[in-house]
Amino acid sequence: MNIDSDYLWDKTGEPDPEIQQLEEILGALRYQPRPLRIPEEIQIRRTRGFFRDLGPRLAIAATIAMLLVGLGLWFALQRLQRRQSGQPTEIARQAPAVTSNPTPAAMPARDDNQKLAVSSSGSDQKLIDVPRRHRVDQSTLARNANRLRDEAVENTQVANAREGAAAKDQLMLALRVASAKWTFAQKKTQSTNPRDLIHNQHKIG
Amino acid sequence: MKSLSKTSLRLALLAAIVVLGAANALAQTPRIQTSQLDALAVKASQTVDVNIDEGLMQIAKNFLSNKDADEAKVKELVNGLKGIYVKSFEFETEGQFSAADLEGIRVQLRNSAWSRIVNVSSKKEGSVEVYLMHSGSQISGLALLAVAAKEITVVNIIGPVDLAKLSELEGQFGIPALDIEQPKAKRKN
Repeated sequence: MNIDSDYLWDKTGEPDPEIQQLEEILGALRYQPRPLRIPEEIQIRRTRGFFRDLGPRLAIAATIAMLLVGLGLWFALQRLQRRQSGQPTEIARQAPAVTSNPTPAAMPARDDNQKLAVSSSGSDQKLIDVPRRHRVDQSTLARNANRLRDEAVENTQVANAREGAAAKDQLMLALRVASAKWTFAQKKTQSTNPRDLIHNQHKIG
Repeated sequence: MKSLSKTSLRLALLAAIVVLGAANALAQTPRIQTSQLDALAVKASQTVDVNIDEGLMQIAKNFLSNKDADEAKVKELVNGLKGIYVKSFEFETEGQFSAADLEGIRVQLRNSAWSRIVNVSSKKEGSVEVYLMHSGSQISGLALLAVAAKEITVVNIIGPVDLAKLSELEGQFGIPALDIEQPKAKRKN
């Protein structure tokens, strides 16, 4: 066998007779292109699976479910942010007078190095560093402020109605007692037995 | 030294005048203090304690309808009033209170500003005393003290109360119409 020849690599150079012989023997098994023919005895059966049939529909349903979960998370986060940003306006809600425009004091401060004054039962105040708050969109903030103001007005009206009804009930009770006693005294003076009546209608003291 | 003592004497005199004036002004008020009766609440089976000041009166007035005839009548009655205070105690048994418990109220009503217009005393139904305070020709306050064997009621109305209208309320809003027995006429033999 000629080892120096490049015939084995790229069929250049002097061919080796042994290799040529081997080529001839193995050449019969060389690949010959021909169309694919499936034997008739092999039957192709399409397997029908539940998931395979519903595949596209399941994909759509899964997408919708993912969207819904995402929306839910987004709303939950929004609510959380609203709660956090609503704490300073709670002070404004508790104020008796409800103004049409939110006061600057009621709006959350936008300073990054925000500090919160906390007063205890004593007179001393402590300043606590408040972590940087997530910035809220101005329109969202305005909507929230309007909503809170409406709620505050509604709560005030309900509280006033309750207070008024309670005051009216108290007034009626007081008048009921006063009228009953006064009428009793009046009728007694008009109809009582003179022996039981003490005639003292004049100023005393 | 003399001038200092004179000045201090004058200041003391001025302070005394101010204190006396304030005390007199307080004595002239138609509001009577009934807090000394609060101790009886423990023994009472039923207690009514109503305190309506001027502010609460205004709120209550706003809730009285003009369309309803009865409520309009009440509104007319309370118009101008500055307060209604009622304290009433009902007891299960007799002897739960003494005259000493009422002495604090009676002392206030003995003030010359008050005049007693009614004093009814009945062995069966107890006694009712009605006092009025006048400011010029107008009534500025009413005090009513009703005492029975098992009941004490003190009513204090501040402001120009119309007594005729107050008695007109009887039978309305659940106010019972009292049916007091008329004395029987003696049969002629």
